[in-house]
Amino acid sequence: MSEYSKDVIRELVEGTLPWPQTRRIMSAYKDDDRFFKYISVLQDRVSFDDPILLPVGERLFICDSGEGRVTRCECGHSFGDYRRNWKLAAVINVRNTEGSLRDIYPNSDLPDPEWMEIREFFCPECAHLHEVEAAAPGYPIVHDFQPDLEGFYRDWLGKPLGAPLKETA
Amino acid sequence: MLDRTANPLQTRLLESERLMDETGCYDGITELRLRKQDPLKFETLHTKLRAYCVSAREMARRISASPGVREVGEMVVAIYTPEGDAIALSNGIMVHVHTMSRFIKWMIKNGYEQDPGIRDGDIFANNDAFIGTVQVPDVMDVVPIFYDGTLVGWAGAVCHELEAGGITPGGDVCLAQERFTEGLFVCAEKVGQNDELRRDYIIRCERNLRMPIYWVLDEKAKVAACIDMRESVKQLISEIGLDYWQRLSKEFIEEGRRAQLARTRQLTVPGIYRGHTFYGHVTEGKPGFQPLADPNWLYNIPIEMEITAEGKIRMDFDGTQPWGYHSMNCTPAGMDGGMFVTLTQHMNFEGLVNDGAWMATEINIPHGTWTNPDNEMAATATSWALLLPAYGVFQRLLSRGFIARGFVEEAFVGQVNSPMIEMGGTSQYGGQFGMAHFECAAAGSGALAIKDGLDTAYVGWNPESDMGNIEIWEQNMPMVYIGRSIVPNSGGAGKYRGGCAFMSTWLINKTDHLRLVTSEHSSRVFDNGGLCGGYPAPTCEKHHAVRGSDIFAKAERREPLAHTPGTDPITSDFERTYQGEQIFEEGPYITRPHKTGDIFSHAYNGGGGFGDVLERDPIKTAWDVENGFLTREAAERVFGIILKDDAEGYPQADVDATVARRAEMRKARLAKAVPVSEWISKEAERVKARDFAPEVAKMYRSAMQLSPRFTKEFKDFWGLDADYAFSGEN
Repeated sequence: MSEYSKDVIRELVEGTLPWPQTRRIMSAYKDDDRFFKYISVLQDRVSFDDPILLPVGERLFICDSGEGRVTRCECGHSFGDYRRNWKLAAVINVRNTEGSLRDIYPNSDLPDPEWMEIREFFCPECAHLHEVEAAAPGYPIVHDFQPDLEGFYRDWLGKPLGAPLKETA
Repeated sequence: MLDRTANPLQTRLLESERLMDETGCYDGITELRLRKQDPLKFETLHTKLRAYCVSAREMARRISASPGVREVGEMVVAIYTPEGDAIALSNGIMVHVHTMSRFIKWMIKNGYEQDPGIRDGDIFANNDAFIGTVQVPDVMDVVPIFYDGTLVGWAGAVCHELEAGGITPGGDVCLAQERFTEGLFVCAEKVGQNDELRRDYIIRCERNLRMPIYWVLDEKAKVAACIDMRESVKQLISEIGLDYWQRLSKEFIEEGRRAQLARTRQLTVPGIYRGHTFYGHVTEGKPGFQPLADPNWLYNIPIEMEITAEGKIRMDFDGTQPWGYHSMNCTPAGMDGGMFVTLTQHMNFEGLVNDGAWMATEINIPHGTWTNPDNEMAATATSWALLLPAYGVFQRLLSRGFIARGFVEEAFVGQVNSPMIEMGGTSQYGGQFGMAHFECAAAGSGALAIKDGLDTAYVGWNPESDMGNIEIWEQNMPMVYIGRSIVPNSGGAGKYRGGCAFMSTWLINKTDHLRLVTSEHSSRVFDNGGLCGGYPAPTCEKHHAVRGSDIFAKAERREPLAHTPGTDPITSDFERTYQGEQIFEEGPYITRPHKTGDIFSHAYNGGGGFGDVLERDPIKTAWDVENGFLTREAAERVFGIILKDDAEGYPQADVDATVARRAEMRKARLAKAVPVSEWISKEAERVKARDFAPEVAKMYRSAMQLSPRFTKEFKDFWGLDADYAFSGEN
């Protein structure tokens, strides 16, 4: 089975690992110790101390914290209980006019804003764009991912999570 | 255990299904005995079977006359158990490995052993999607493998035909609105005996197709591949013994099933994943569309995926749209096939790849929707139009799991539609012709989580993506290329951009009658998406054409020509360069015939982006601009990257100015954005007022009629009364 150093995983995650090496990783058997090395790389990257339990986006993590298990932006902003859709606690910009769509598609044909809009979900603190939805007007916001966090740690990783630092409502 | 040689196939199939239900293991194989006894022999024998498949496919491609099969590789072959489960397969259009499985099982369940009989040397063909294929041009041939009088398996082959004899020329018969206009159907038919195709079948093909040479020679290529695999399997059985083969072939599949479950547990995280995409199609006012069809369609494709504690993947299409009088419906076979080909690319990159992987999944395709029509007269000739966006969502859902688990190198924003051109009429040689132009098999891919997507090098249905050589296409159609180039900005924006698409421009040449028809065009809405902050790739580009152009006169005068419509979305370079009737048409393109001197252009699609645009590397972006993948305008306006010119006039990133510009853009984001709760309150008023375009309202009405769950979620989200509904008829 393969095994890579934490530095290699860090470079892989950052997209700076040279392509031939990345390609070899893609073609090889997967490294079974990846998850905790990955978490460790991410933990080094963030400025907060709350332990990261699971990434749910590129810069979005479920963390154990004094507020309970919450979804946090990499900047540290909390979107609240991880079981609730973090998007509902974000700030949003909707592009539903030709002008606002043209800002993203300056040289292409555009969708019909009567049929489709673009929704940008930002962190209210650092303005990171965490997710983009392309949806018909009126389409409910999607809850992208509801992980079975406890089951994952207990049954798949064989390392059950302890009690949360604080229970959330 | 049932005697595997003495009982009829139908009994054996039922027994196999019963054993799976009872034990949870394929054919009741609860222990991989042969693998345990001699793992090296086990692996070696599977490698041999795979080699038989790959070699048979390559040989067959040399028999085919079709540039789709020869150039682009639109073919796959596989070896099956007697009950029709795939044991081993070749590369190529792997979507059909499981659709062929359905075809074989259909024949068994429908008593083919009794009538018309299944004998050594028989050849069976099918292109009926309700029996087991995706669309009418996907014609499959299977032959039984007998060993000492016992049926021990099947060999099967599929080619995508470039001409199917439908209401519009080519293979993807976009104008078909019922099966009766889709073209030549071969419905689980015995088309040959004693290893020879029947002459009357060939005559039927020759009389009902615009370009029978493709179909007929592909038939011969497929039969050759099947015979080649059959003889190899027989030789193998003579070496290892029949009993060993019968156990081995089943263990291969059970091993594949277990490996898929293990890989899901290794690469992902259990839980519920959700996503959606849309497809918007415009036919209002276009010639030929029958009164049955709606003028315009908007389809929503929501997908909920559950990864269970066991590692099983469950996909649920509840909430999607009804089937319709158009050619984009799909059958359960096609939906299964889409799942299979996606899994082979994203999870089955090692080990035994076969039907076992599919058995580790479940799929809910609600009856009456486009995924599972309750009317077998529904047309499916362009089912990829909806299949590709749907399985692009599946790829994004899986990718979120890969990201959560740390396997970022496997995350991939997904496949896209690649609109196809079909054509027919009078060829450059003066005779009748028809062809699907398969250069579409090289779209841009979605971005990866660690790098940009592949430019002009990926489509979901065939991982061996290839656009084919210009010279070969020109031999087969009355058009010559005057341009084939990258479409700038066609990849979705993001930290990593989606792969770019290309576009071709042709001069119609040496014909007075060329019909051009395009399909898989979602022009009104995005039918792809981004991930983790990446934007969708642009919608399908509209077509530009010039009828009666002055290109010959310009060439005579040695004046410069326009080789693409350019990057100005308002006024094209064709309008600036050529005299003639300027056409600017939203797809699907269907119009009166073209003739010599006309110019036609067609763009394919790029993939969605990954990550926040403001994190894109400025240096890489300067390279993109220099090489035509991005425009300068997009670099600054979308990515916030300021470029200056170096001493030789090439774009160079101004890093300091970029940092300053991006800081302004972040401030502007927060100044403009509103809390989601505030937006929901305001938007709920619009929803309550049903203030939507007719197509959007119709989409909601249809989804609510078919899905109580969609209705509940919609009402709950917006806080609507229980009696909220959209009036009108569907």
